[in-house]
Amino acid sequence: MCSIGDDNFEELDNLKYMPAKEKPSPFSKCNKCKEEIPIVVLRSKDKYCRKCFLAGATHKFKATLGKHKLIRPNDRVLVIHKCGHPSTALLHFIRSGLDLETHKKLRFEPVVLFIEEFTHLTVTDRSEILKAIEKEVACFNFQVYLTSLAKLITTNSVETELHANFDRLEMDEDDKNVITKFVDQQLNETNKNDFLNITRQKLIVKIAKHLNCKFIFTPEISNDVASQLLTDISLGRGSTVSLNAGFCDSRDETVKILRPLRLFDLKELAFYNHLNSLEPVTYRKRDENPYKSVQQLMKKFVNELQVNYPATVTTILKTGDKLSLGTKPTNKCDFCNAPLEEEGPELTSAESTQFSHWVSTQTPAERRLAPERAFNNPTCDNYCFGCRKFRK
Amino acid sequence: MHITVEFGGGAELLFDNKKSHDVTLPEKDKEWIIKDLLIWIKDNLLKERPELFLQDESVRPGILVLINDADWELMDTVNYVIQENDRILFISTLHGG
Repeated sequence: MCSIGDDNFEELDNLKYMPAKEKPSPFSKCNKCKEEIPIVVLRSKDKYCRKCFLAGATHKFKATLGKHKLIRPNDRVLVIHKCGHPSTALLHFIRSGLDLETHKKLRFEPVVLFIEEFTHLTVTDRSEILKAIEKEVACFNFQVYLTSLAKLITTNSVETELHANFDRLEMDEDDKNVITKFVDQQLNETNKNDFLNITRQKLIVKIAKHLNCKFIFTPEISNDVASQLLTDISLGRGSTVSLNAGFCDSRDETVKILRPLRLFDLKELAFYNHLNSLEPVTYRKRDENPYKSVQQLMKKFVNELQVNYPATVTTILKTGDKLSLGTKPTNKCDFCNAPLEEEGPELTSAESTQFSHWVSTQTPAERRLAPERAFNNPTCDNYCFGCRKFRK
Repeated sequence: MHITVEFGGGAELLFDNKKSHDVTLPEKDKEWIIKDLLIWIKDNLLKERPELFLQDESVRPGILVLINDADWELMDTVNYVIQENDRILFISTLHGG
């Protein structure tokens, strides 16, 4: 364990833990312009007036995109719509960026994709949601493709399942079973979620390629990224954490997944929508037991800690930003497509785990005969540590 | 005392899908504060699953409260003294997404 700086902890008692929630300062003007009356409090302490808040949000969005200089004029971008405040705000950010007349104008071509998978609702309700999404995207004047997870996983050609009108997409009470059957029932809830998440991502990349999009925008916000990061670490995907938690997921050579909202929190986006008179499409969420899977538990942990410690999410994100892929990868996982770790002089924690397993399942004679690092991937397949559990 | 109570972002799903409610609060000895209003809403407007709207003596984290279009955190949250014709909006961030 690292012990640098430990001896100072007693003196700096107040810095030992994350700062708790503060009360907003009694100063009754906007933090930024110091003139107008504030209307919103962010991070439980910073007060902004309407104008400064909206300008700040727009700036943050464009700065996140601009900083990485990945998108070139006229590139096609597939924007993933997932219902709720982040998706609506994302569409609005893009529309207002494209409509600018200044040199700061956004210059890419967005296409919106919505993948329906609300199998806990009735077919009528699901159809209403699709209709509302189609209408919302049309209001922003974007092209939309609607599809459903059940259809995507049962077809070999995704292009036949992309529809521009909600009534073209067939939905069935049986969709839930289709998805259940697709996933190996031997897996526990956490691994089922993990499997479906990777499947979804692969499908999105496939659709992006079909639609000639070089980039994908997802509406993940800071809380999503923070809980994803902790989930990845607990599921043995620590070595590729920067792909799922960074701004850009570059595991595919041609299509990059970008997270332009990764520095926003829900309150910011909900206020942004409210001030722009936008009402997002909403639906009844599935009742989920937070203790049933690691993903749900991490979400609960992050969100609950965030309530009283507003620095939680930023602390996790900033720490995550310092993690990057080690060496240039030569080999990729057959399932999730993430780079495989190469054997280095020192054992990685995944190798150590495998060693413990190996050493306790071999007889002493077998152990003596085994070549060096025989414990490491005994079946010689091309899966990363996190995906090996899906191997049949 | 007359006020307007509104729900958005999916919070209306818990209130018969009705977004705007004109409310007349009954007279009482002390001033009406938001904490009292939340109990009144629970008893009079809320149609289902109170745990999705309330937690302890406040709203559930994830529900934003705007008093006359401004964040309630600027106004001491549950202790804000309600005035005649106030417009109180609850926006859920928990639905969808």
